[in-house]
Amino acid sequence: MRAAGRRAPALLALVSAALIAADTVTPLEPLRAFGSAVYGGLEDAASAGVRWASGERRLEELERENARLRADLLAARRTTPSPAQADGYRVASAHVIGFGRDGTVTVDTGSDGGVDRDMTVFDGDGLVGRILRSGPGTATVQLATASGASIGARLEGSREVGLVTGVPERGLLRLSLLNPSAEVKPGDRVVTLGSRDMRPYVPDVPIGTVVTVEPAPDALTRTALVRPFARFTALDLVTVVLGPQPDGAAADASAGEGEAGGGDTDAAKSGSKKAKGA
Amino acid sequence: MKAVVLSVLVVLVAPVLQVAVVNGLSLPGGHPDVVLVAVVALAPRLRPRPETRGLPERGAAGGGAGAFLGFAAGLAADIAPPADHTIGRLALVMCLAGWVCARVAADGTAGRRAAVAAAVALGATLAGGVLAALLDGTPWGTALAPGAVAWTVGLAALVAAALALLPRRRSFGRVPRSRDSSRDPYARGRRLA
Repeated sequence: MRAAGRRAPALLALVSAALIAADTVTPLEPLRAFGSAVYGGLEDAASAGVRWASGERRLEELERENARLRADLLAARRTTPSPAQADGYRVASAHVIGFGRDGTVTVDTGSDGGVDRDMTVFDGDGLVGRILRSGPGTATVQLATASGASIGARLEGSREVGLVTGVPERGLLRLSLLNPSAEVKPGDRVVTLGSRDMRPYVPDVPIGTVVTVEPAPDALTRTALVRPFARFTALDLVTVVLGPQPDGAAADASAGEGEAGGGDTDAAKSGSKKAKGA
Repeated sequence: MKAVVLSVLVVLVAPVLQVAVVNGLSLPGGHPDVVLVAVVALAPRLRPRPETRGLPERGAAGGGAGAFLGFAAGLAADIAPPADHTIGRLALVMCLAGWVCARVAADGTAGRRAAVAAAVALGATLAGGVLAALLDGTPWGTALAPGAVAWTVGLAALVAAALALLPRRRSFGRVPRSRDSSRDPYARGRRLA
């Protein structure tokens, strides 16, 4: 017992160091999956308790409808619709239930709700981030301000293309425009560029506005600081883009937008279940 | 036995409390690390053998349970969902923090325990911040945010003092100290220093 008491601390420190080394070499995904299975449910319950205590439960149906409407609005705002989809996205609404210190948050919808890695997350204000990994009932979102995030972006007016990266200590973003002589001035709106197959980012989600242009006369890119629209410290309800609306469903949705309150999400859920079964 | 139940509770609940409640509060400056606070406050109470309570001899039992609590809680905080840093980072830091706390602060007044808890919390937060910057590329400004450090250290001292004051009068058969000496927060520490 005494010997164990003497050796245990050194042994445990060694195990920790081994874990660090292992995770650096090859990410320990099974361990993280276990973590989200165990702690995801607990966080969900804790957060639901907090929300219930603050009397927000009755709002949930409205919130779900809101998420769907926001997605429709986002789709309608697109200036250059791609042929792949034009009539909106399949979406899931989710609550932010946990705030991490690594520029990440947890949302309460996971792979059971069709959420998978590299999906766009936004809220009523603008882009929030992308799904980093998803557990059964929860998913981890990497915020746009995280130090590791980099997002393809463009200026809404001039369509100049650039890259947005996080400046976490100031809660700002840095836009690097590929064209060093591009016109950019404070007040310009920045939106997402969009990725192939709409993952991780769907196009034309508002990111923020330019606050200052950084003076760099002989740089290869032109950089500016961007204040994000989303308030990352007060996130609550967010919308996850699951994918494009299937062709048939797109017509239905645009025809009967008013009556189908939960219909869309139900369809999305059954669709993802089918996809999983196949 | 009670300590074991408490430890399991800490490992299960503290990471959840951290991400679901504490990090969501809008506190000025930053957020306390409640997992570290729990480890630092609970580790001194995990001595397996009451008879080795004397001055900690070199290599004597004690510290093993604290180290294990720290390791488990740290690993839990490493893998609880929103975390996206190298697994093992917090486990290493908190394992050492639990060990030091269990070795140094197992006996003593509430004031001494609070002082030790605060010192260990400070050291562990700084070490964790350095590791975060080195391993995960966290910017130094966020890794060592002074607000978060201050919250953690203050809360650790407070909780350790409260835990040391509360149950001693009821159980564990320890020699009750006079209230005056346990109220003086630095008496013991000053004598040792």
